[in-house]
Amino acid sequence: MNDTSIAPLVEARNLAREYDRGAIKALGGVTFSVRAGDFVSIMGPSGCGKTSLLNLLGALDTPTAGQILFDGRDLRDIKDLSAFRARTIGFIFQSFHLLPTLSAIENVQVPMLEASLSRAARRERAAELLRAVGLDHRQHHLPAKLSGGERQRVAIARSLANNPRMLLADEPTGNLDSASARAIIAMLQQIHGDRGMTVVLVTHDAGVAAAATRTLSMLDGLIVSDTVSPGPVAPGASPAGTRG
Amino acid sequence: MSLLTIVFKNLRHRPTRSLLTALGITVGITAVVALLGLAKGFETSWEGAYKARGTDLIVARITSRDPLPTPFSMKVGDTLRALPGVTQTSGLLADLMSIEDSPTLIVAGWENKTFLWNHLRLNAGRLPAGEHERVILVGAIAAEVLKKKVGDKAQIDTETFEVCGIFTSESMSENGSVVMPLGSLQDLTSRDNLVNFINMKVDPAMSADELRKLRDTIAQRLPGFQSFDASEVGKANIGVQATKAMSVATSLIAIVVGAVGIMNTVLMSVFERLHEIGILLAIGWRRRRIVSMILLESVTLSLIGGIAGTVAGVVSLRILEWTPILRGRITPDTGLPVLGGALLVSVLLGVLGGLYPAWVGSRMSPTAALRYE
Repeated sequence: MNDTSIAPLVEARNLAREYDRGAIKALGGVTFSVRAGDFVSIMGPSGCGKTSLLNLLGALDTPTAGQILFDGRDLRDIKDLSAFRARTIGFIFQSFHLLPTLSAIENVQVPMLEASLSRAARRERAAELLRAVGLDHRQHHLPAKLSGGERQRVAIARSLANNPRMLLADEPTGNLDSASARAIIAMLQQIHGDRGMTVVLVTHDAGVAAAATRTLSMLDGLIVSDTVSPGPVAPGASPAGTRG
Repeated sequence: MSLLTIVFKNLRHRPTRSLLTALGITVGITAVVALLGLAKGFETSWEGAYKARGTDLIVARITSRDPLPTPFSMKVGDTLRALPGVTQTSGLLADLMSIEDSPTLIVAGWENKTFLWNHLRLNAGRLPAGEHERVILVGAIAAEVLKKKVGDKAQIDTETFEVCGIFTSESMSENGSVVMPLGSLQDLTSRDNLVNFINMKVDPAMSADELRKLRDTIAQRLPGFQSFDASEVGKANIGVQATKAMSVATSLIAIVVGAVGIMNTVLMSVFERLHEIGILLAIGWRRRRIVSMILLESVTLSLIGGIAGTVAGVVSLRILEWTPILRGRITPDTGLPVLGGALLVSVLLGVLGGLYPAWVGSRMSPTAALRYE
């Protein structure tokens, strides 16, 4: 997993992001790379720039300076970033961000409208994904009728809808009780283990961060440490090893 | 699930607002159908009068000054009668006049003993005997309005006429008018030997090509005159066109009000759902899909309003038609052009009303939109 001969899937070079014409400096020149199949957590206190970094990695935002290469291709050269996100990135948010008017199975199908799948194929795939996250029996429930943990599982199923190459999770356990949080982290670990999915997770919780195989610690818009753990670690275990 | 599923669920999620918007469109489209139906009916009614008389061509001098064409010499009829293929001609003088206390009616003078009189069905009385006889024939509706029966006297301008007959015509506009011999109306209006129209009958064997040639010949021989067939006469009539223009103008106001209403609703709905739009952008929806979703919502609302408004418009016209005060005086046209036009207008309303909100929604940055709660 940490073989340096593997080409990076994502590479951030001197990434900077400022807001309000430079009044707020969220990122101050960040350089790192993520290889295919990595499970990376980005940890740090509130306001350290981790969500800004995740938004840039997911092409939701554009950097003030620096560049991001995805599979060697500069994101600035991609004209249709929506199509890039639809095909390549799966997002999981702290507040779930499900559409309130649609049922669980419909929410999972929403990203698939951008893929060339038939209506039946979309439905079948959404049902399969809900089954995989243990929500087979909740397919037709609206988000309001689901618990927080169930909503986040629907969001995970939705993030996998177009079989992306990388999952980006922004504080995925931030709104959950501890039991649900453990279940969600276990699910992300399973997706990483079973599918070899590249996962980048943002959290301020060291216990959650430890579930990843590598942890980037941030402070004041900079990466201050890059730690590698020897293998999959259950949430709450101590990280080990340090890179760069 | 498809894009339409999302559209319908979004609309159903806010049922009161959706219903009220559709209701606003319904009112607008009802007005459009009613106004255009009445105007088109008026035009059709004019055409119907010529068709009922068996007139193949009408010749008149058209100017933009008067609702009725400028009177011209009856001798033009002689010129027309001499043209190949023309079998009969009949002069017609018409004016808008107030008879006693009645509202303004069409009073027409028809050349006596010509084909114009043949289509009238006499309910009572007789046809005039001479070109200058001081008698009038009153249409069935006009008789009700004037409260006249055969044998009664009617004061028109300075002269008194006797009602010699009550008639029914296939043309609603004739049923609401008064007819007298041409000579009598010329005497009354001091327009000796003048007419507004020459009605012509042509050889039934004449082909469309020959008829076109005949019209070209008329245009060459009689500069300043125009010939029309029955279907064109409404379009050439300034009064009919003025009525139509007024209806279209009023309809446009209704349409603009409807468009502003729908834009307001859809824009509010977009602003309320910026967060949801942010989610859709984040998970990879293209901006044009966001535009499609918002436009579809807008068009769905306006189409629902359009269908309801079209039905309500037709029902309103039927009610108006059967209202005692208007019965027999209006002939609304609710044909495909009017109803199809109204539905098309409602779709255009949806597109117009949805364009700006769709632009606003699709231009949002995903991260900015996600911050809205």
